[in-house]
Amino acid sequence: MAKEMEVSIEKDIIMSSDNIVKKESLKGQDAKISVKNTKVWYGDFQAIKGISMDIKPNSVTAFIGPSGCGKSTFLRLFNRMNDYVDGFSMEGKIKINGANIYKKKVHVEELRKEVGMVFQKPNPFPKSIYENVAYGLKIQGISDKKLIDSRVEKALKQADLWEEVKNDLKKSALALSGGQQQRLCIARTLAVEPSIILMDEPTSALDPISTAKIEDLIFELKEKYTIIIVTHNMQQASRISDYTAFFYLGELVEYNKTKTIFTKPEKKRTENYITGRFG
Amino acid sequence: MENANYQKELLNQAGLDMMSLCISQLGKATEAYLNNDADLAEEVIYTESHVNALDISIEKNCERYLALYTPVATDLRFVMAILKINIDLERIGDHAYGISKYVVDDETPTPAHLIKALQFEKMHATIQDMFDDIVDAFENENVKSARKVFKKDKILDTINREAFAIIEAEINKDMSVIGKSLQLSSIIKKFERVGDLIKNIAEEIIFYKKAELLKHKGKKK
Amino acid sequence: MNKIQINRWKDQLFKIWGIACTLIGLILLVVFIGDILIDGIMRIDWGFITDLPSRKAEKSGIYTALMGSIWILGLTTIIAFPVGVAAAVYLEEYAEKGRFSALLEINISNLAGVPSIIYGLLGLEVFVRILHLGASVLAGSLTLSLLILPIIIVATRESMKAVPSTIRDASYALGASKWQTIWNQILPASSGGILTGVILSLSRAVGETAPLIVVGALAYVPFAPSNPLEEFSVLPIQIFNWISRPQHGFIENAAAAIIILLLVTFMMNGVAVYYRNKWQKKWK
Repeated sequence: MAKEMEVSIEKDIIMSSDNIVKKESLKGQDAKISVKNTKVWYGDFQAIKGISMDIKPNSVTAFIGPSGCGKSTFLRLFNRMNDYVDGFSMEGKIKINGANIYKKKVHVEELRKEVGMVFQKPNPFPKSIYENVAYGLKIQGISDKKLIDSRVEKALKQADLWEEVKNDLKKSALALSGGQQQRLCIARTLAVEPSIILMDEPTSALDPISTAKIEDLIFELKEKYTIIIVTHNMQQASRISDYTAFFYLGELVEYNKTKTIFTKPEKKRTENYITGRFG
Repeated sequence: MENANYQKELLNQAGLDMMSLCISQLGKATEAYLNNDADLAEEVIYTESHVNALDISIEKNCERYLALYTPVATDLRFVMAILKINIDLERIGDHAYGISKYVVDDETPTPAHLIKALQFEKMHATIQDMFDDIVDAFENENVKSARKVFKKDKILDTINREAFAIIEAEINKDMSVIGKSLQLSSIIKKFERVGDLIKNIAEEIIFYKKAELLKHKGKKK
Repeated sequence: MNKIQINRWKDQLFKIWGIACTLIGLILLVVFIGDILIDGIMRIDWGFITDLPSRKAEKSGIYTALMGSIWILGLTTIIAFPVGVAAAVYLEEYAEKGRFSALLEINISNLAGVPSIIYGLLGLEVFVRILHLGASVLAGSLTLSLLILPIIIVATRESMKAVPSTIRDASYALGASKWQTIWNQILPASSGGILTGVILSLSRAVGETAPLIVVGALAYVPFAPSNPLEEFSVLPIQIFNWISRPQHGFIENAAAAIIILLLVTFMMNGVAVYYRNKWQKKWK
């Protein structure tokens, strides 16, 4: 019998005889990212109104919610990309691997080696494929060509792009198709060997086949990385994520295992959103 | 896509497991009745909780599959078919349970001439035959095998219809067989219902593969 | 005529008008060049280029002026290019956006329009007199650098602005510092625009006469400069000088010199466009 079914049966036997429902706690000392009562302002406008949550390691967490609900802003807190936005200010604690990333002495460049990001529209540098993937390593000061070559190859393999480009790494990155470019951007991020990968609507600009390839890729990657993905596409969230967080107007409405959110969400607002009854 | 395919495979395997479990339950229950084997019957009764657990698990996983992967076309029909087949199999399991209860509650053996007169063993063999067809249909997605069961079910219907007169005659010959006759009559009815359930399963498999809805196409004779 | 036909007519009319305007400019240019060629092409020979200026028209050559122009061009490039690009990078990336930087921006744009002779006067006071550089190549180059600096700054800033912010985001997200991002991504990506701006401004510098006259470039120079502190002359001044002479021979010389000057300008622009396209293709 398939292993997954076995587990379900054991659980079900327990449930039908004891009628005890175990509520799994999502907190824990093994949280990869820990957010405590965090608020964000852009000037006078409060974009995030006090959110606490823990992200588990080696999982895929999806952030869903209508436009302007703050999910992208919240995502960008984890690699401090909001720092460049005029008027940004925040309160609260965000710990990654146990260390608060908003302490004064934190070097943002170090943080981003640990937390990588893939953007909505593929944005490869106007350079060769090799140069794109090697960039993250070169800016760290790595100059050993053999090492860079092997890291580039490894990253391209991990991103499922190696076979397609291995014969011509000097080709311009802009000559690749949209889906390939996005996988290149993923490879570029992987080359730096982060432990967390943030993805801001990574497939919204791609066709369905490229999207499917990247979703498969995310599924493979979660064995080694902790992935957070912001998505407008609820079917995508339900297909690939382990945990889903629903945001609305700067608040975290509900955060639970994906299968629970999509079969019996606790809040009516969540249910309305995922059934398409509002925005 | 890979993950969705993998989940579909798991569901398929669970469906197959449920099928083989329920078929084996019915087979064992019938054997236990024929041989008056109380131990075998106890085994069937004990395994019933397993059948129930698998039933619940499959239903839950179908719900999950629908919620998480929003299947369409063949995939959607697949889940719908699995859900319905699951219900039918669970009922077959129930019938097996009922037959076993008879064996355990009443330790007296059934007279052989009754069994012969009512063509009990022919029914049993036909049902096993139909089970083989349906397993082949499900495992190998073979619509041809599924279609075979409709004709075979007629044998069960015929035997069931003739059973009443035969039992009446036997009781008139010998009043002492009333108890066992009633039992047999009930089991034969169960067999006839199992035949119908197998037909349902065949219809569901055909629906899945061919998107044809066969039910309610009339019992025109 | 119905609406569609009227629109078609308007379309045609506009097309013809556009072609006519383009042709006018081209025709005038062709006429001018043709005229010059007729006047001066015969005069050009190796001797013309290597002879020093003299009182006799047939023996006068452009050697010293040509060398002077090359010196001025070279030195101005070395001074203005890095300073201009660095200033633009500072203003675009590092300066805090506020009232002061807005003021700075407006003023720099204005400076590009200031008459060149004013720069000459500035150069005369500051470089020639206060810094005691005398009427040297260095003083001339510094003056011209000031002249073309605003153009370089504006062109560089515009090119940098045209680099999509997504490139910046990607670079930062990989852990690059501001400087690494500018040096590795922004500047290479905007190099096409920067180069164009630099070359256009140098083209202008090569033809400048007034500020150099004020600074003290001589009309009659018997030698080519051998170091930046020596006196010099440039082609435009030489041309100006020859045109003011009455002998017909010098008119020919002037025409010939103009042809050389045009050649230099066209060559520079051609090289610039060639390298700019090559660079852009590389990034594409």
